[in-house]
Amino acid sequence: MTTSTTAPVLSIRGLTTTFPGPRGEIVIVDDVSLDVGRGETLAVVGESGSGKTMTFHSALGLVPSPGRVVAGQVLLDGADLLRLSPRELRQRRGAEIAIVFQDPLTALNPVFTIGDQIGEVLRAHTRLSRAASRRRAIETLERVHIPDPHRRVDDFPHQFSGGMRQRALIAMAIALEPKILVADEPTTALDVTVQAQVLELLAGLKRETGMGLVLITHDLGVVARHANRVAVMYAGRVMEQGTAERVFENPRHPYTLSLFRSIPHLDTPAGIDLTPIEGVPPNPALLPPGCAFEPRCFLAGGRDVCSARRPALTPSDVPEHLSRCWHWTELAADRSPS
Amino acid sequence: MRWGEGPSTIQAPLLSVASVSKIFGGGRALFGGPRVAVRAVDGVSLDLCAGETLGLVGETGSGKSTLGRLVLRLIDPTSGRITFAGEDLTAKSMAEVRRLRGSIQMVFQDPYGSLDPRMSVGALIAEPMIVHGAPRAGIAGRVSEIMGLVGLDARLAHRYPHQFSGGQRQRIGIARAMALSPKLLVLDEPVSALDVSIQAQILNLLRDIQKRTGMAYLFIAHDLAVVRHVSNRVAVMYLGRIVETGPRDSIYGTPRHPYTKSLLSAVPLASPALERTRSRIPVYGEISSGTAVPSGCRFHPRCFRARLVAAAGKVPTVASGDGIIPAACGQQDPKLEGPTAEHLAACHFGPEHDDRIATRQSAGGRS
Amino acid sequence: MSAEEGATDLTVAPSAWRQLAGSLRDHLRHPGLAVGTGLLGVLFVVALIAPWIAPYPPLKTNMSNTLAPISGAHWLGTDQFGRDVLSRILLGTQVSLQVAFAVVALSLTAGTLIGAIAGFAGGWIERITLVIIDILLAFPGFLFALALVAARGSSLESVIIAVAIAFTPRVAAVMRSVVLTIKPRPFIESSRAIGMSEWRVLWRHVIPNALPPVIVVATVSAATAILAEAGLSFLGLGVQPPTPTWGNIIADGNALITTNPWISLSAGFCIAIAVIAFNLLGDGLRDTLDPQMKRQTGRGLL
Repeated sequence: MTTSTTAPVLSIRGLTTTFPGPRGEIVIVDDVSLDVGRGETLAVVGESGSGKTMTFHSALGLVPSPGRVVAGQVLLDGADLLRLSPRELRQRRGAEIAIVFQDPLTALNPVFTIGDQIGEVLRAHTRLSRAASRRRAIETLERVHIPDPHRRVDDFPHQFSGGMRQRALIAMAIALEPKILVADEPTTALDVTVQAQVLELLAGLKRETGMGLVLITHDLGVVARHANRVAVMYAGRVMEQGTAERVFENPRHPYTLSLFRSIPHLDTPAGIDLTPIEGVPPNPALLPPGCAFEPRCFLAGGRDVCSARRPALTPSDVPEHLSRCWHWTELAADRSPS
Repeated sequence: MRWGEGPSTIQAPLLSVASVSKIFGGGRALFGGPRVAVRAVDGVSLDLCAGETLGLVGETGSGKSTLGRLVLRLIDPTSGRITFAGEDLTAKSMAEVRRLRGSIQMVFQDPYGSLDPRMSVGALIAEPMIVHGAPRAGIAGRVSEIMGLVGLDARLAHRYPHQFSGGQRQRIGIARAMALSPKLLVLDEPVSALDVSIQAQILNLLRDIQKRTGMAYLFIAHDLAVVRHVSNRVAVMYLGRIVETGPRDSIYGTPRHPYTKSLLSAVPLASPALERTRSRIPVYGEISSGTAVPSGCRFHPRCFRARLVAAAGKVPTVASGDGIIPAACGQQDPKLEGPTAEHLAACHFGPEHDDRIATRQSAGGRS
Repeated sequence: MSAEEGATDLTVAPSAWRQLAGSLRDHLRHPGLAVGTGLLGVLFVVALIAPWIAPYPPLKTNMSNTLAPISGAHWLGTDQFGRDVLSRILLGTQVSLQVAFAVVALSLTAGTLIGAIAGFAGGWIERITLVIIDILLAFPGFLFALALVAARGSSLESVIIAVAIAFTPRVAAVMRSVVLTIKPRPFIESSRAIGMSEWRVLWRHVIPNALPPVIVVATVSAATAILAEAGLSFLGLGVQPPTPTWGNIIADGNALITTNPWISLSAGFCIAIAVIAFNLLGDGLRDTLDPQMKRQTGRGLL
């Protein structure tokens, strides 16, 4: 559900993706619903195994076999991506919704120049000639602030530094001015100072073009700085969703709160105890029947409803702030600052 | 229980690194001209006392991982001296160094690659003891004891690494490093490959172990918040040099070097409210490579302070890139110095020049 | 605290036998491996008990019953000396398997050591070893075998030595490549960090992890060894008559190929079975020993 008055650009509803397992289907993405509005940044936060990457791979039809999407809709400007023919889906991929993958080194083809790879995106979707697409490629490199683009357009990926490769990937993604850009862990492989530059770049592009931006990340600082809205995922489900301010200042799910307490912060007194989340991340093949977080939850306290019945994603004290917890009210009452 | 109980500084340092450099490559190719040389570590000096944690922080190309390996002499320094517990490591033969490895151990970054997949966990933990000739009779007992110390069920000693999760594998790596009760532990990015919720478990474990054994830690990481959490003192590295060093609270609270300030500014805080009100220090360009170290101060191409000082116009300047910088920055390599013996920074100009771009302290206060 | 599921008590170490039985069971699920192992098992047993199950003494001539056709008394007839062909083929299994195992043992041992040391040491040791390996690989194996036989005389030992020397460079080259992929892995650095000498690291960490692809190459070399022995014996350069080998049985039957084709054909068929069995074993081992290996090195290995 979006707070803006215009319809969301991307609307994922009830998306469910499964993989076959030895004892039946394993649910990797479990009834996920997310919206991204025009000009808005949605951060999807989770650890490994949370299903955050697979959600968007599913939305774009990139689920590796033998996995498959078994339910849900992915509405991009009204059209359901899951129901389109492969050809129609290809037309929209890159042109209307683009994804920047995690590792800039392996996502680029080492034997083609950067210019060729951007040109490939352009020529797949438009009728530009080689010369024209090369000019567009140079323009795109300028937009992502790659210095000396006339020379760089003929360089190979290995001649770029990590930060510049990430920019090149972003250039490929925005070449056609998509309505939605999905950035999967855009900063994990980068130095802190370069991270800051790349994220500023994305924010700037968003302001210029009004595109929606999805940031898939596990870095809460990145979320705090750049996101309008946040969705926290665990075990393939959305556990909490709301504006960044609300979720950070008033978390309504014990997982979110536990995450805040378990990481060191730069703005709190140094050296105080971290409260780790005990246990290990869940195995999607062996989820409990009730709440997926219950085995590690400090709030559950052994209550039957937590282990027996799966909570639904419902509004909390603020209607747009959703929580998948039976006892979120207890978090509202007793709030320790993050 | 807090970190940062620290050691006394009266005693002689346990580890002393003096002007150590490591140059990779260099020399001449078989046919033709000189080969490219990478100055991975360039004249680094630091001290570490028993029981304390020195955090070594830096980005790509800073040389921090290389420095960690130099301390163990996994790599041989090109020049300089490393002294451990009074003994000169650099002068010793490899055989003698190997014997000393019982006292200096390393915890590696990659929990998946740093354990031999064909050895059982018990064998992995026992291996250091066997290599150093511990009597066979006591080894099994000690393995169980150490596994208990790191929070692993000792009955699982016969299992193989692939049967454990990432966090557990890192515990195995720590157990292996502790097997010989070392005095110094070098930790190279020990938590960066782990999930966020597991990192806290391992950091707490490391803290407990240090409390119990009094080991010194050389903690190498790029995550500023993690380093702040664990360290008594911090050294910031850039392109093979230490550019700032001092007690943790001074470094994070009142950083002196422009690189440190830029780093701290670039790290986002997990609080939207604070983030909205922070001002950012611009960082220009990217880190140069170790093969083409800038002249003078190696940070000058990216330094906001150089531009500010040059713009103020009170010192001689030279052209650089698309602007001007003070001549000193472009030509002279600054030394590590400071108003107190504890907090040193390698910069020609002090932080008083930064008043036009200043990081505003958050309301909560950074300690 | 383990991330395991399942009902068995995971804290008790299974006995070595159960571990072995369990891993064998897993391995034999692979159809190629099961078939290959089965065939080889049969051949092995036949080789062992050949003297006892042969219906007639293989060396006993009977000039009154030469070139007999297939009959109830002689399932494969007799050759030009009246010897029962079936019995000779059964005994020939011994020679073939002896050659196969001896060649594998020799080339595996020598090749592993040479390749591992070259790959691990690097520098000029590696370069010189590679040059020698390349020279040996360029040398036609058969020519080398001929030269050796000319020097030592024809015998089973000559065949074994010749083929083993021809194969060692191949094994060494593969071993070196694999060692190069293992050398940079973090656990090797970790073993140095605990103070192990370089030799120990090589012996205890590098070689055990490098063996799976090399074992696969070794099984292929067994198949080639059998073919090489057959070829040499066919030319009269291998094991000398009257000892039967599949190779010289083919040779014996060569002149009679139009009248008594089953003599040569049956020996040829046995060679084919043995080669197929070794190849299946090799493929199966490649797939089961190290699942990662299938993806990484499958194509480039052979």
